[in-house]
Amino acid sequence: MSIQKISLQTVVALGLGAGAMTLVSSGTVLSLLTQATIYAVFAIGVGLLLRQNGMVSFGHALFFGAAGYIVGMLLQAKVMPAEWAIAAALLGLLVVSFAMGLVIVRVPGVAFGMLTLAVGQMFYLTASRSRGFTGGADGMNIEWPNSLFGVSMSVLTKPATMFMISWSTLVIVIVLLALLLSTRFGGITEAVRDNEERARFIGIRTLLPRAAVYALSALVTGIAGLLSALNTGFVSPENLHWSLSGVALMMVVVGGYKALWGPAIGAVVYFMAKDILGDYANHWMAIFGVALITVIVFSPTGIAGILDKLFMGRKLAHASHAARH
Amino acid sequence: MQTDDVAIHYGGVKALDGVSITLAKGQIRGLIGPNGAGKTTVINAITGRQPLTRGKVTLLGEDVSHTDAVQRRMRGLSRSFQRTSVFGQMPVRKQVELASHMMGVEDSGADADDVLRELSLDHLSHSIAQDLGYGEQRRLDLALALVGRPAVLLLDEPMAGLSVQESLDLAKHLQALTSRRNVSVLLVEHDMDVVFGISDAVTVFELGRVIAQGTPAEVRANPRVREAYLGSAA
Repeated sequence: MSIQKISLQTVVALGLGAGAMTLVSSGTVLSLLTQATIYAVFAIGVGLLLRQNGMVSFGHALFFGAAGYIVGMLLQAKVMPAEWAIAAALLGLLVVSFAMGLVIVRVPGVAFGMLTLAVGQMFYLTASRSRGFTGGADGMNIEWPNSLFGVSMSVLTKPATMFMISWSTLVIVIVLLALLLSTRFGGITEAVRDNEERARFIGIRTLLPRAAVYALSALVTGIAGLLSALNTGFVSPENLHWSLSGVALMMVVVGGYKALWGPAIGAVVYFMAKDILGDYANHWMAIFGVALITVIVFSPTGIAGILDKLFMGRKLAHASHAARH
Repeated sequence: MQTDDVAIHYGGVKALDGVSITLAKGQIRGLIGPNGAGKTTVINAITGRQPLTRGKVTLLGEDVSHTDAVQRRMRGLSRSFQRTSVFGQMPVRKQVELASHMMGVEDSGADADDVLRELSLDHLSHSIAQDLGYGEQRRLDLALALVGRPAVLLLDEPMAGLSVQESLDLAKHLQALTSRRNVSVLLVEHDMDVVFGISDAVTVFELGRVIAQGTPAEVRANPRVREAYLGSAA
């Protein structure tokens, strides 16, 4: 894909966000859209691991919650400005997750999923019980300063601004990942995912690319965690709980992981279902569960797969029509 | 390429015992024997997939026994697998070009195109590997092993599951490639017509040991081989 095409798509996507921000006047709707967008970034992180490594994580909430906790604790300790705390949190997550990845990506299949679950729950319990550091089960308020990156906090936390920040982050994350995966790194990780043994016999050392993808997916999830911390000004052990990782996985399955943007669609569908079905049924998740099963049975590639087929079908029809004339 | 007194033991089980094979430059050596004789284990031992209990593997005059699979591949030792081993979700050319790049070939695109043309896969460059027919996937497996101009190619039952015509085509490709690329081939294969038809030398295995070596005619005439393996096929 050419740089011009990517640039154009980026501008269009940002324009769509700006349009939505201008057109939607309801704070509640904007707030819902912001949440959906933040979770879209989270789901893209989880989906990236599945797409490039073929691995399912049940513990990615660890990185979602940890980002908020790191910033919260650094701001509480007043050791650095908030901007530096954000950078430190992301860099710290990247380094720690890469080191973790070097160990856990060696474990194949279901065992990997169980290991991520165990590690995630270990941190959940630690955060729940370390009242002095994390506020325990009550969670902690994040003491954001009056301004961040030169913008007043009162402006930043307005629903419209918060939505635009989240939306821009989502677009930038997708574009940067698409660019990265179009390089040699993308090909190497696809080869390792498809056939690790054959990859070794074409000269690829398979551990580093796998660990790098794990760290990258943790970083993306951490970015979502930071957005959530900025949006709510609060972080609690619930942000680390495995059920949150499960929700992100559902978004990935519904949206489809073969396209980078698929999980984002899943996040939007999830929040729409939650909002609309939640008005009529307490146990809306049961209905969503049926939708999930339907997608798995009839379109294992998710909504993105359906859209892709429709789009490709139209493209092919167009091409054959052009060929006939 | 040479193996000297190579042994792989699993506790009391001797999967390989005292195996010495020499593969001369540009030679095709067939490796035959009944199921469970240790043919695939020899390939695994040579490529570093399984550690040796005893003995050494020499490649281009250098002892590579203590190097791993990636290092051996970088030094010119390549292989195909008993089960087709390609990158299922990747387009054909993309994966062959990647393999060539990983081998340090400067113009990896041209190298990939050459190999694909030689194996008559060039018209499938943009196809996804898992959508190919079985015979085409076998040739793609061979293409992945051939890029970067390896000195030694170890082929583990490349004809398995192919029709007679596909086997003959692949054998023809193999023979042409070996002379054109001056690559030595160790060929594990059950199709005796192919092995005796294209090999310069044949080694016969039984229960992890070499029981006979020589030219195809010598091996065919060996009474022990006829008794242990070839039977009426000879």
